[in-house]
Amino acid sequence: MLDIEKKELMIQTLKNKVNKQLLYYLDVCARCAICRDACHQYKVTRDPKYIPAYRAELIRRLYKKYFSVLGKLFPKIYEAKDIDDEFLLSELYQVTYACTGCRRCMYYCPFSIDTLHILSVAKAILLSAGMENQILRELSDAAIMKGENIELFKDIFVTMLKESEPEIREKIKDKNAQIPIDKKNADVLYVALSGMHSILPAAIIFDKAKINWTLSMFEAANYGYFLGDSQKAKTIADRIVSEAKRLNVKEVIITECGHAYRVMNFFYEAWTGQKPPFKVSALIDSISRYIKDGLIEVNKNPSSEIVTYHDPCQVGRNGGFFEEPRYVINAITDNFRELTPNRTKSWCCGGGGGLVAIPEMDEFRIKTGEIKANQIKETEARIIISPCENCRLQLDSLNEKYGMDIKVKSMMEFVAENLKV
Amino acid sequence: MNMDPFSFIVAILVYVAVIVFVAGMTFKIIVWAKSPRMKINLGIYPKPRNGFVRFFRIIRDSFIFPQTLEVDRWMWVFAMLFHAALFVALFGHFRLVREFTFVSNVIGQDNLNTLGAVGGGTMGIIMLIALGYYLFRRFASPYKDISVPEDFILIILLAGIVGLGDHMRFFGAVHTEDYREYFQSIMRFKPAFNEALAQSQTRWVLSWHVLFVNLFVIYFPFSKLVHLIGTFFANKVRSE
Ligand code: HEM
Ligand code: SF4
Ligand code: SF4
Repeated sequence: MLDIEKKELMIQTLKNKVNKQLLYYLDVCARCAICRDACHQYKVTRDPKYIPAYRAELIRRLYKKYFSVLGKLFPKIYEAKDIDDEFLLSELYQVTYACTGCRRCMYYCPFSIDTLHILSVAKAILLSAGMENQILRELSDAAIMKGENIELFKDIFVTMLKESEPEIREKIKDKNAQIPIDKKNADVLYVALSGMHSILPAAIIFDKAKINWTLSMFEAANYGYFLGDSQKAKTIADRIVSEAKRLNVKEVIITECGHAYRVMNFFYEAWTGQKPPFKVSALIDSISRYIKDGLIEVNKNPSSEIVTYHDPCQVGRNGGFFEEPRYVINAITDNFRELTPNRTKSWCCGGGGGLVAIPEMDEFRIKTGEIKANQIKETEARIIISPCENCRLQLDSLNEKYGMDIKVKSMMEFVAENLKV
Repeated sequence: MNMDPFSFIVAILVYVAVIVFVAGMTFKIIVWAKSPRMKINLGIYPKPRNGFVRFFRIIRDSFIFPQTLEVDRWMWVFAMLFHAALFVALFGHFRLVREFTFVSNVIGQDNLNTLGAVGGGTMGIIMLIALGYYLFRRFASPYKDISVPEDFILIILLAGIVGLGDHMRFFGAVHTEDYREYFQSIMRFKPAFNEALAQSQTRWVLSWHVLFVNLFVIYFPFSKLVHLIGTFFANKVRSE
């Protein structure tokens, strides 16, 4: 049993989260289970608790208990439950942090019920009960800590960047090329991830395109978002927003990372009530623009290997970039082959929602990635491109486990490799 | 007054049902309208290009939800059949308010009666089959795992309504005019049976039919069936 105060806090949290969308979703679901096979996690495991509607139902049971007259009078009709029901909370924890947030269920539901939205409320309740995912919490705290002590990290970071510069100069035959950092009044602030794999190819492209850019000292990933703690998520995003303001840039380009772009472009406004005071772009969008505008040129058909593309849920269905990546791939190769289904109906790879960062979820995410693995095998592709770090990590795992014999690449990597110099 | 006490209570309950339904739905809509709207638009891409396309999509997604067909074909088929039949059957009931003279003038009274019998009967059977499918499905896994008593209550109430309605359609010897008199007596706030109904055993079927309708209508605003209106709002969120 949780103590009374905590229980009150949890009820209050639910109450604070009530908005129009949530009410529609909680009130109208017919429990028709049409969404069941839309979810890769249910389709692979056949475990009813992973049916999107079942996940939502757990929150609905709490809502009926505290906010509906009939639910209060006849809790049995709705299986309404107390907010401190331990079985409910343990199931809620499992199915909430398992959800990758792909929103494929929303696409197929006749009422377009957004299970992810309902589960964001679940996360808030779990947080108020102190039952949040510990790993995601530690990762969020580490990111916040870094933001507060950036001076400690700066020197190592700059050294690492300097060491990579010769490689860029070599590649694009420009002895002045560099990776600028802390550059005031640059046009573009590029926000990468930790690790040179997300910095170097982008630097090659920016330098070749002669963009007046500067690199952010922070990484785009936002574990506060996956954790479901909007306070922490906002603090993490604010590191980048204040850096962009300080450097007075016009545009912030977020690297190939699905949720990071959504955080900046959508959620930041929801958390703070205001849009960030600069243009937010996704790197794949920028790359396709550079090619279209002739700022960079690519080599056509460098090899005859079949190339396929995985639409990351946060980039495609939830982010709106379907044609840009295809434009870039088609600019480089004639051997592009689509996965089926694709675009807005794309299957989740199974690694979203922060799952790749949680070791205890490894087995589950690799198992539930089976659908994606089979889809990829069918194309007989040797290269798969996906502009999302989580997807790529997952695709790497799938490659190993399902013996797909495929190279997983980011778009910037693919473009940098095939850049005409 | 030639009504037995049970039928009389059922008739009075009609007023209660109408009041509860109207008040309940109004309350629901007010609660929805008064809650804050999320500041950001979290629709699914590709989003509609303009307001006109958005409107079209909301209508399409609410009435046909074509994407559902791809993921659960049978559920889509039965949901379509059920809702279409429900709509036609409801429409048919307006004959009780006023005879469809605009139809009988064209095709003749006898033909209208035949049309009503065949059409109404078909709709009743379609609904019964669809309800059977809804119910049967909920006894099987994984549907039973996500079902709650509310789901069964609604299906049973509906099966009661439809079953008794079909009974009157197929076995009763009472004519539409007699039902119309009953219906209009309720509309005039003077519920009564005419001679034909008072004499016939069918009056029991009628009163049970109306009782089930009353219970259903009373429960409606507090059940998931508020999807009657909610579907348009929720599908709007999808397109924003
Ligand atoms: C216009 C959009 C609508 C959509 C997309 C829709 C969708 C659905 C779906 C998917 C079900 C299946 C429930 C189940 O598996 O049990 C259902 C059930 C039902 N709907 Fe609708 N519906 C709509 C409109 C309406 C309207 C206008 C009414 C009535 C007045 C209505 C009344 C019912 C009833 C009575 C059921 C069966 C109850 C049940 O199965 O629990 N619906 N609807
Ligand atoms: S498809 Fe939609 S309405 Fe049906 S059970 Fe799933 S969430 Fe509920
Ligand atoms: S968002 Fe994706 S993972 Fe989550 S319940 Fe829906 S389909 Fe399943």
